Amino acid sequence: MSNIVVEARNLSVMRGQTPVLSDINFEVRKGEVFALLGGNGAGKSTTLHTFLGLLPPQSGEAILFGKAVHSDVASVRSKVAYLPEAATLYGHLTAIENIEYFLSLAGIKKSSNEIVQALDRVSLQKEAHNQNMERYSKGMRQKTAIALALLRETPVLFLDEPTSGLDPVAIDEFNQLITSLAAAGTTIVMVTHDVYGACQVAHRIALLRRGALVGSFEADEGGKIDTETVHAAFAERAAS
Amino acid sequence: MTITKMIAKDEWRYWWRSKLATSVMLVGLILIAGSSILTAKQMTDAAHERAHLQSEAEEAFFSQPNRHPHRMVHYGHYAFRTPPPLGIIDPGIDAYTGDSIFLEGHRQNSAMFADRQASSELAIFGALTPALLLQTLAPLLLVLIGYNVITREREARTFDQLIAQGMTPLKIMIGKGYALVGVAGLMIVPLFVAIIFATLDGEPFVSASLFMVGYALYLLIWCIGIVLASTMMRTPSASLGALLAAWVVVAILIPRISSNAAVSLVDAPGKIETDFAVIEAVSKVGDGHNAADPAFTALRANMLQQYNVDKVEDLPVNFRGVVAGAAEANLTDILNKFAEERMQVEVAQANIARYFGWLSPVLGIREFSMKVAGVDLETHHRFLRETEALRFDFVQSLNRVHAEKLTFADDANRSSNPEAEKRTRVSAENWKVLDEFDFSSLPANNRIENASMSLMKLVFWVVLLLVLCRFVGRRAL
Repeated sequence: MSNIVVEARNLSVMRGQTPVLSDINFEVRKGEVFALLGGNGAGKSTTLHTFLGLLPPQSGEAILFGKAVHSDVASVRSKVAYLPEAATLYGHLTAIENIEYFLSLAGIKKSSNEIVQALDRVSLQKEAHNQNMERYSKGMRQKTAIALALLRETPVLFLDEPTSGLDPVAIDEFNQLITSLAAAGTTIVMVTHDVYGACQVAHRIALLRRGALVGSFEADEGGKIDTETVHAAFAERAAS
Repeated sequence: MTITKMIAKDEWRYWWRSKLATSVMLVGLILIAGSSILTAKQMTDAAHERAHLQSEAEEAFFSQPNRHPHRMVHYGHYAFRTPPPLGIIDPGIDAYTGDSIFLEGHRQNSAMFADRQASSELAIFGALTPALLLQTLAPLLLVLIGYNVITREREARTFDQLIAQGMTPLKIMIGKGYALVGVAGLMIVPLFVAIIFATLDGEPFVSASLFMVGYALYLLIWCIGIVLASTMMRTPSASLGALLAAWVVVAILIPRISSNAAVSLVDAPGKIETDFAVIEAVSKVGDGHNAADPAFTALRANMLQQYNVDKVEDLPVNFRGVVAGAAEANLTDILNKFAEERMQVEVAQANIARYFGWLSPVLGIREFSMKVAGVDLETHHRFLRETEALRFDFVQSLNRVHAEKLTFADDANRSSNPEAEKRTRVSAENWKVLDEFDFSSLPANNRIENASMSLMKLVFWVVLLLVLCRFVGRRAL
């Protein structure tokens, strides 16, 4: 049985009349961390939005668990947790309320204890748990959103610039978290322009430029991708 | 709890924690509740006052001393219309047309004592009726509360987060719609209480319930429209702008355009023009106070022939009374003809204005509300017709007394002969010809039937917006 969980097959996407993704192909296996690296406007977030069913493909297919996303969006979404670039949670709610609300919408029931544990796992300060999120810094919001994504316990995680706004210590903690989740079998697709961060956690990296894949790198036997190589390729081929 | 209810509950939590939304809701509730209490008190007082004035007017008429019957024709009588039970919510056109008529011989007076003409400047607050507030202010408050239900989510990008949790745009729209319907429900609580009072005051349950349903449908239209606009627009400011523009169009512009269109399409003669036409027509029927008026030559000849006598003095009835009766009948025919023409023009104009209810739910609910409450133009016309029938009946009854209980000689000489004058005074018992006047609303079934077209307009809007929601919901990503 194939263990391919996420697959882009000749995927092209338009926003209005503008092509954003052009005939891209990649596969992500179970328990793999796949990073899409690219500059601004490369089409990274568009790729995730297409896999979430937020954008229809112009041609080709976005496939999750062997099923075209657009053939059964609801079923696919139930297997995916998504962490958007800007942590999109409600300012009028506390971190705990936000998590409770979004989990309940996804039909998931978690105890307060489990929610607090998840917030601790992402290192959100205790005193912030019951404050309205409108007072949160960008990093605190991001941590809450990560906790929400973790609590959904989905087999696939889509992360859009997940370390944006996090301090260096939190980034390290986050990278460890990603590594442990992948080791536990979670498939992770992250899009980022942080070459260093991607090389720290990803098993494979693909470079995206103006909607087209322009390079890819795989981890060596030690499980690492050479940062210098990727950085050079990114500077040469993907940065725009 | 279903997902849509969860979304609605969260929206309520957002409003509760947002001071602006809570304040707007509170202001709306206070205004509608305050206006309901004030209008209910005003209308209840008016109902008691008019019932009291009606019985006082009848008592005053009956207690007049023995006198010449024609003096009673000119003494006149007042007829009052007590507001219907649902008038405590929607006084309808009463405030403009008046609710009392002075009935007298040889004239058809207009209704008078309209609040708008008779009140002090402070009465403008009285004009903020629950119906007006629910028809125009409540939608505006709903817009202010709900314009950003979806655009706020888009701007904060929580819309994508909701979608990522497995929501569909349509489910989100339904959840937000539920939340807004909850606000609308709060706004009609005062209406519900007022309707209970109206029911206790005699309004049948079926019409009272339908009245409530009509307003619920109307506010539902706004709730759906607000969610729809908020889904179609990309930013909160755009959805607010679009909704305020829509409110201005349907609540202010289309009603004005409908009136202008009605006046333009159905030409109504001016008052001065009509008054001259009436004077001209009336001048041809002769003066009922003058039995020698050439207009009554034929009548005289007929009567002399009928009773086979040579002189009017020999007739078994007082010819002056007969002339008064005949003149009143002729005059009334003419006045009724002009009145009917005027009423037909008014109805034709109103019907044209009502077509615009298909374009504006504000006009739809206005028509529905007045028709179910029994305060519409047609009811006012019925009041005019019934009071005219009362006037004609009592004037002609007095003219019959004039003809049958007085002799021609005494009547003709009463100015020069004090004894004759005494004999022309008839007993006050004769004043009991006046019927008691009690104007009542049409039965509930008739009112509901009359309101069915306006109800259709409201249903049409609900269906149209729901179809649009379904369409937009599929393309809202």
